[in-house]
Amino acid sequence: MEGEKRLFINLTKLFFTVIILRCFYLQVIRYPYYRNLSNRNCIRTIETGIPRGVIYDRNMRPLAQDAPALHLVFVPYDLENPEKEAEILSGIISMDKQEILRKFKKKYINPFDRVYIKRQLTKEEVSLIEENMPVLPGVFVQEGLIRDYILGKNTCHLLGYTGEISEEQLRVLKEKGYKQGDFVGQDGIEKVYDDYLKGIPGGIQVEVDALGHQRRIMGRKYASPGNNVVLTIDQTIQEIVSEELGDRRGCIAVMDPRNGQILAMVSRPGFEPNNIREYLNRDGHPFLNRAIKGMYSPGSVFKIITEITALETGVIGEYDRVECTGAIEVADRVFHCWKEEGHGWVDINLALPYSCNIFFGTIGMRVGVAKMLEFASMFGLGVITGIDLPGEKQGYLPDKREIDPLNLSIGQGPILVTPLQLLSLVSTVANGGNIWKPYIVKEIISPDGKKIKEFSPELKKFVYISEETMEILKRGLKNVVMFGTGSRARLDKIEVAGKTGTVQRAAEELGLGTHGFFACYAPADSPKIAMVVFLDNASSSEAAGIAGKALKRILIPELNDSTRAETEELENVEIF
Amino acid sequence: MLRYFRRQTAEKGVIFWASLLLFIGVLILFSASKGVLAKEGIFLKQCLWIIIATIAGVFIKKIDYRDFQRIAPLLYFIISLLLIAVLFLGSAGASRWIRLGIFNLQPSEFAKLITVITLAAYLAEKDIKRFPVLIVSLFIVGIPFLLVLKQPNLGTAFIFIVIFFAIIYEAGATRRQIITLFMLGLLSSPFMWFIMRPYQRERILTFLNPMRDPLGKGYNLIQSIITIGSGGLFGKGFLRGTQTKLAFLPEYHTDFIFCAFAEEFGFIGVIVLLGIYFMFFKSIVEVIYYTRERFARLLATGILVMFIAHVVINTGMTMGLFPVVGIPLPFISYGGSSLMVSLISVVIVANIKENTIMF
Repeated sequence: MEGEKRLFINLTKLFFTVIILRCFYLQVIRYPYYRNLSNRNCIRTIETGIPRGVIYDRNMRPLAQDAPALHLVFVPYDLENPEKEAEILSGIISMDKQEILRKFKKKYINPFDRVYIKRQLTKEEVSLIEENMPVLPGVFVQEGLIRDYILGKNTCHLLGYTGEISEEQLRVLKEKGYKQGDFVGQDGIEKVYDDYLKGIPGGIQVEVDALGHQRRIMGRKYASPGNNVVLTIDQTIQEIVSEELGDRRGCIAVMDPRNGQILAMVSRPGFEPNNIREYLNRDGHPFLNRAIKGMYSPGSVFKIITEITALETGVIGEYDRVECTGAIEVADRVFHCWKEEGHGWVDINLALPYSCNIFFGTIGMRVGVAKMLEFASMFGLGVITGIDLPGEKQGYLPDKREIDPLNLSIGQGPILVTPLQLLSLVSTVANGGNIWKPYIVKEIISPDGKKIKEFSPELKKFVYISEETMEILKRGLKNVVMFGTGSRARLDKIEVAGKTGTVQRAAEELGLGTHGFFACYAPADSPKIAMVVFLDNASSSEAAGIAGKALKRILIPELNDSTRAETEELENVEIF
Repeated sequence: MLRYFRRQTAEKGVIFWASLLLFIGVLILFSASKGVLAKEGIFLKQCLWIIIATIAGVFIKKIDYRDFQRIAPLLYFIISLLLIAVLFLGSAGASRWIRLGIFNLQPSEFAKLITVITLAAYLAEKDIKRFPVLIVSLFIVGIPFLLVLKQPNLGTAFIFIVIFFAIIYEAGATRRQIITLFMLGLLSSPFMWFIMRPYQRERILTFLNPMRDPLGKGYNLIQSIITIGSGGLFGKGFLRGTQTKLAFLPEYHTDFIFCAFAEEFGFIGVIVLLGIYFMFFKSIVEVIYYTRERFARLLATGILVMFIAHVVINTGMTMGLFPVVGIPLPFISYGGSSLMVSLISVVIVANIKENTIMF
């Protein structure tokens, strides 16, 4: 018995001896060394940033990638004279002395961790700082990363941007390994797919001298990049629509009506993703992605719904006519057509191309508000499309008591849609009733090229519309471009179908102009592309003009390199 | 004189040594709470925990330890449920805690003691030499072991293994049984590598080479060693530690509290602290030696080994002798659950001692 009890005690003796010997080694033999390290507090961790994956377009052309950059940082503990150093720095970098001082004097959890003062220094700034190094103890120029957005402003809303993690975000993202000062996706794809894009941070641990300068590297961890994201966006189309929209306030979105893949999306005004600060206080809401977050009355684009409702419910036939005299009186209100002298006797085949308000108002009264709203919601108005971008708005479908049939039938009054919802609407018409969920990310690929996740088209629902109705509608939409209100979108070689929408703003009397919509698809008989153009403070025919120019460059090959190959193939087929 | 000292200390019971350790723990936590992170709260919270644990201890003292044998299955059932619950409800990251108002309950701490009680209760009436008994014993430890491993809490899982071997050894398992089980465990350990989470593998690799990950656990270990080493022979003095105060060590008040102690009290302090722990262990061995009841003997052995393993692994890991795992230093580390379990264990041992004397 005695011996058995001894076992545990003897084992303890053995372990304790080892521990005491180790302590003797650390605390007595190596004492001077560790004492020295501890006295000078001279171990520093330097992180080299979190590398992010590349964002590619559908043809694997990069849209966003990391690039090396030099940042200005400081170690709170190593600062000697914050006042003076802030003064010197404010003369070199364009930053207020008080602002620098505020950063210097803030309480940091770990006073040995580097804190960023300014990212992406210019060459001049770097050389000036290097010159002043001796009077700037605790301040360093550090190698790091910056996000390079190849198309800059043209993809700002789509890709979003990265920015220093905020305190609220830190609380949530802490468990994912984020720390103060880390960069994190703040909007767009960068935000939604942050988990995939984010890599593993690298860094070194160094021993530093009294001035905080690096003396010896004690350990190193290599960074590894995150996953790459491949978008459905086509860089060429994105550039074309960006150029055609120019600096006008508005947006353009392009989708493949056969599967819901977004090919391009641009909104103006935009911002420089690497220079957010400058845009924070600008007017025109530069951070607003109008394509998914802007809500507007659809105007005459809604006549597509009115027409479908009227034909499907059998309220009118193809050749039923209504006389437009330029105005009608309902109750004690006068309702005007946009054409003062009126369109005369029109049937549905002429009313849509001419966008006759009297015709649609009349049939709208016949079908009633409830039916039109029913069809509108069937086509997905009033709910989000489900695109993989943050902050999409659902628009607003009014209650049937809130709106009168005259206003609703021409898309005026308290009904709001996002441009993306109209894009989805014309796509559904183009493909004959399929509502595809719009999406932007096609696949996610690991740094070594393995496919991690693939996103395929998702059919949200199928809307059944009779063939006759579809045929009448499609013919009408073609005629809108052929000889109607959208004729500025007409192309020589390719037939375009679309619908204009001019929205009177509530405050028109105050001198505010109109909004212009043009939603279209092409080629009209086998649609490959659907597009919505929205212009703030402009007419719908201007919108149609922009759409026409963009479609021409996208679909007519000789103007455009990337589609040439495709057409050559087609030509070859013809030869054989 | 040494003899006198020996006689004096030998008479002191397990409660005396535990109180002494608790006192040291409060002192060092007070010092640690003065750092740049100003965790004043931890000191007061720990004091509150000591009061709660003492009250609980007074009540448990009144319970005859033999009653534990009866309620062991119930306790075991409850703790298994809690361990499963923590996997689902646990605060994110490593799911170890269940939040209860301002306090966090850590069921894995209680699981250690309850497993000791259950295994002791079972083997008190069964012959470990029989194969089915051995299998049931394996299951009793295996369930909490796997649940804790899943959390994932490598350190605590390892404690279960140590407890298992100690109790079956004390229960009279044959040398062949022990060696066979040991070899089986050793053989299956490569498979463990594959079920480990990446961060656990990373920890083991970091232990083998701290410079591998200078930003994470390696950083802790380097700083931990500097902290201990800079204490020297006599230490920097109470409340005068610099390494811990400046928060070089993020976890200096919990798993790395030993560093704070070694920094302020030096090599001499470490020897005294380990000496007190040693006397504490001896006072438990004393109880094991004198008790005639099998359940009491197994129970006290399990508790003894639980404490020894904690102290050895915790101090060892701070100086790079073991991988860094989440094991607290009994009586000293900040943490209510751990403190509670330590005090209850001590009370049980004291209870056994009193009942033994009455025989």
